[in-house]
Parts: sequence; structure tokens; C-alpha cells
Amino acid sequence: MRILVVEDEPTLAVQLDRALTAAGYAVDLADNGRDACHLGEQEPFDAVVLDIGLPLMDGISVLKRWRAAGRTMPVLILTARGEWHEKVAGIDAGADDYLTKPFHMEELLARLRALIRRAAGQASAELRCGPLVLDTRGGRAMVAGQALALTSHELRVLSYLMHHPGEVVSRTTLTEHIYAQDYDRDSNTIEVFVARLRKKLPPGLIETVRGLGYRLSCPD
Amino acid sequence: MPGLKPCADDRGVAPAGAEGSLRRRLLLGTLAWILASLLVAGWGLGRLFQQHVERQLDAELGTHLNQLAAALALDADGRPQREPALSDPRFVRPYSGLYWQIDRIETPGELAAQRALLRSRSLWDAVLSVPADALADGELHVHRVEGPDGQALRMIERVLRPAERPEQALRLILAANEALVDAPVARLHGVLVLALGVLAAGLAGAAVVQLRLGLAPLARLRDALAAVHQGRRSAIEGRFPSEIQPLVDEFNAVLARNAEVVERARTQAGNLAHALKTPLSVLANAAAGDEGALAKLVAEQVGLARTQVDYHLARARAAAAAGLPGQRTPLRPVLEGLLRLMDKVHAERGLQLRIVDCAPALAFRGEVQDLQEMLGNLLDNACKWAATTVELRCQQDGEHLYVLIDDDGPGLPEAAREAVFARGARADEHAPGSGLGLAIVRELAELYGGSIALEASPLRGVRAALRLPAG
Repeated sequence: MRILVVEDEPTLAVQLDRALTAAGYAVDLADNGRDACHLGEQEPFDAVVLDIGLPLMDGISVLKRWRAAGRTMPVLILTARGEWHEKVAGIDAGADDYLTKPFHMEELLARLRALIRRAAGQASAELRCGPLVLDTRGGRAMVAGQALALTSHELRVLSYLMHHPGEVVSRTTLTEHIYAQDYDRDSNTIEVFVARLRKKLPPGLIETVRGLGYRLSCPD
Repeated sequence: MPGLKPCADDRGVAPAGAEGSLRRRLLLGTLAWILASLLVAGWGLGRLFQQHVERQLDAELGTHLNQLAAALALDADGRPQREPALSDPRFVRPYSGLYWQIDRIETPGELAAQRALLRSRSLWDAVLSVPADALADGELHVHRVEGPDGQALRMIERVLRPAERPEQALRLILAANEALVDAPVARLHGVLVLALGVLAAGLAGAAVVQLRLGLAPLARLRDALAAVHQGRRSAIEGRFPSEIQPLVDEFNAVLARNAEVVERARTQAGNLAHALKTPLSVLANAAAGDEGALAKLVAEQVGLARTQVDYHLARARAAAAAGLPGQRTPLRPVLEGLLRLMDKVHAERGLQLRIVDCAPALAFRGEVQDLQEMLGNLLDNACKWAATTVELRCQQDGEHLYVLIDDDGPGLPEAAREAVFARGARADEHAPGSGLGLAIVRELAELYGGSIALEASPLRGVRAALRLPAG
């Protein structure tokens, strides 16, 4: 899962980056509205944390541009003013939720998880696929109650597949969703992660669709 | 908040009669002038005419006197020989109102006794009694005396000293009934009263029309002010006469400046909030990753600071705007905007948020952000506690607007309902929120002269009843 964090206050941006990375997300940062606008229009994010008060272009305008361009990723807005008209304006511009500063990082993480789940059409905080369970709250994967030991990249790949069960997911898509933009991407490493995952998971869960990518197929 | 009270109710346009109506004052003044000048004119004209008639009568009497003197023939004793014949037939008809009489004066220059020597037939058996006075020769005197049949007479007298017996002076008296003067004067008075009455009515009517036309711009100004006060307009509209226009322009400028100041205050409050809360976020997050005593202290104090900042900013913003005239916010769009927000934010829980009853015409006499602040906090609260349903109703009752927000949550015991309005009070310490919402709602509502109360809801949860001035 790849998150765009748009925050102009550097310390808070670093804190968000750290907390989100620790929670297993790939994080891109933007510290002004214009960069945020370009990034959001060009890169596939699974969710955005968007501060409203931004230099160069305010958050509401950025959000409107994204929605006008057909970008549908869930957006959580951060408002410092705490005024209701700002919240309503944010929601009407296409935001999915808001948080008022100062906020608890746990609350932000919880809201973000819920947004990503909802966007993927998942109702529960625990995603299931046969014997495999992904607890989005704790970022843990379990098979028959046994926690799996996964690296952060393995967890991101699994998490993305679990959020899109039954869909064919290309390697490029996986790459885009598990790496931040400035990361040295190599789509071959996806194959390595998938191979490692297959060893840790019950057999047959991750199918290879030749020439297209991977698919998580869950036995009923 | 000391010193600041809801001022929405006492800002009304001064009712007619508070300082006396300008129109009434002008009208009364004009009418008094019209009445006074017409009365003086009427009185003067009457006097003039009466004097004129009197002079005419005196002249007529003088003529008769001359005739009498000319017709007088005296015997050797100086006594009139016979009754002189005068041409006017009224001297013959009894009590006709026109009389003559010739008296003898015994002692020259001094009136010792008098006796009528000759009288006109018209006097019949009456004798004119002449007030005692002394007359120089040829001098004319005018008197008012009582004559026969109770007639008030106007009388002139002259002393005649016959050439034959100069010491035997005679007093010639001519008298006429004053009715001869009064009748035409009374007739003239009748005409005069009628004419002046018509003139007065005409002038008064003209004064009323002129006042109405002249003061029409003031009536328009009053209506425009009322519209501003009720929030239907944000400035006084229309052109006014050059005497009033500067006032209107000045007032509009003050209104605009007020609005601008409020807007700036809000923006500054917002900027300050932004400037304060982002560092607070940083501090809180830094402390959250630590278990130490310092981290705990920081977390606690950041929470406190946040509460204070929120509260005082909300208050500063509200105090700036409440009572500012010319504001009117339709209720329904604000409610719908907030419901869209709540729908999205609470999408996870599948809450039913319904506007059960809210006519689109209903409006709040106040500022849109303040309305959003109040309704937003109440709705947020209701959504936080509701199990499945939140219902909204709004009604207008005269000057008041009522917004009822019901939830089907666990409800709040009666004893606890007042306590949740305290600053920082939270019914549930674990639910998110600063515990400020209701305190801010109450503060805002009271600034606008309204109120907020929590009651038992028909949905079994809490009903928040917000009363506000209707726009």
C-alpha cells in the first residue's frame, strides 16, 4: 500500500512518514500543493493524507483537481483550523474523512486503514483469504492462528493482493504500490517477494497469470 | 462572557414615537401656522369690513344730520318751529332703526339739563337719552346708546348754535340701529369663515401631501434599515436624496468595514490556530512514541493547550460576528452540507441521517460559519452516540428558529445533562473529541440570544434542542 503524505511542516511530515512506514506503507512526501497535485495525478496511491493549509496551492484546490482528473483514491484531510465550513468544503471537494490537528497518530492510522479497506470494498478490519488472515490494524498476517514472519516488502505485496482478491495484479502495479517514487524500483524484485511469500503461505493462494501478473485466489 | 450580551433584540429600528415622529412634528407645526395665519387674516378682514361699514353708516348719519340742520326752522325764541321733513321714509316708520332728535342745551358748554324738543316719528314715544358730554361747536360725536325696543343704536350728535339766538344751542342727534352694521358684518363673517375654512382644508391637505412626498425617502430608508437588520440585505440599497445619501453611504461603509473586520478577525484566528496546532501535533506525536514521564506530561499539556486554543479561537470568532447586522443564513443548505460530511465520516457505521422536517424557507439571523459551528458540533455529537439513526427537524415559531437533533443512542441521565456543557467535559473519556463542542455551541447560541438544551429524545437517545433567532 502506497500513501501520499502532503504536509508542509517538515517535522510533522517526518513523523507521519515514520509512523506510516512503520505501519507497513510505502510513503511519498510532498511539502507544497503544486507538487502534491502533480504526484497525485500521475502516481497510483492507495490513500492520501492531505493538509489543507499548503504553500503554492491549498489542499482543497489540489483535491478538486484530482477528483476532476478522475483520481478516486481515498483522501484524509488534516485541518488545523477545526472550522466546520472547512471540513464541509473538504468533504464537498471529494475528501473521504478529516482529522483535526493536533491528532493522535493511532487515530490517523486507524482512519487510514478504514479508508483503504472501504475503497477496496472490504468491510472488516480483518481481511480473509481461506486460512490466511490479514489484520490491517496490527499489520500482521496469520495462517490458522499462526503469525507469519514477513518482511515489510513482503507484507506490502501481500496486503495489496489481500485488498484486491480475485483481481489480476500486474507486476508494474505491485511495484507502484509498494515503493515510494524515489525508491530504486526494480520490477524483478517483485518476483523475489512473491516467491518468498509463496513459501510462507499455504500453496496455491497466489496464482501466476502468464504475461499479466498475479492473482490471489481464495478457496471458499 | 461579561460585557457582551446578546444584542440582537435591542437593535431594532426605533419605533415611531420614540423621539416623536418627524412627520407628526412637521405636520403639527405646519397646521398650527396655517391655523394661526388664517385666524389673524380672518379677524383682520372682519375688523376692516366692520370699520368700513361703520364709516359708511357714520357718513350716512352725517348726511342726514346735515339735512336735519338744513331743514330746521327756528321761531323767535330759537325753538324749532315744526318738524323738519327728511327724505328717508325710515324716519317716519316707527322703530324703523333710523331716528333723529333735537335737544335743547340750557347752558352753553355745560350740560345742566336736557329736553327733547323734537323727535322723528320713528322714535314714537321713546326718547333718546344722550350721554352727558360737552361738545364744541360743529364737533361730531359718536356714541353707542340704547334706543327704543331695546335696539342698540349708533348715534352721532352735533351742537347747532342758531345765528339768531347763539346762546340757545341745540343738540342735533341722528341714530341708527347697529343691526344695520351688524347684519352685513355677520353676512361677511359667514362668507369669510367658509372661504377661510376651505382655504385651511386645502392648505392642510397640501401640507400632508407635501410631507408625505418629502419624507418618503425616510420611510424607504427605514424599510431598507429593517431589511439590513433582519439580514435580508447586507447594505442599504437604492439612491436617496442628497440630504440623506451621505448618511446612507457612511452607514454602508461602516457595515462593509464591520464585515471586513470580522472576516479579518476570523482569518487571523484561523491562521493563529494553524500556526499553533501544527507544532502541537508535532509535540504530541513526538511524545506518543515515548513512555517517559516527560512524554506523558507533554501529551497531557498538549491536550490542554489544544482545548484552550480551540475554545478561545471559537469564542473570538463568534464574538466578532454575533450581532453584526445584515446577516441571514438559510438553514437547509448548511444542514445538508453537514449531513454530507457526517455521512462520509461515519460511512463505516451505516448511520441513517435524516432531515425529517425542514422547510427550505427557514433561515437563521446570523453568520453562516457560526451556524455551521453550532450544528456541526451537535450533529457530530449525535452521530458519535447514535446506534443507527439521527433525525433532524427545524421549525419556526415567530421570532425563533428551533433545530431539534435526535439520536437513538444510550441517552444521557437528566442529572448529567447540564454538566456536559462545561468546558472540557466529556461524557465518555475514551471517545474522540476535545469535549469543547457543547460549550462552544452554548456560547455561540447565547451570543445570538438563543439557547441550547439537551432533552430525552423520542428515539430513546438524546435530543439537542437549539433555539436561534429566525432570519
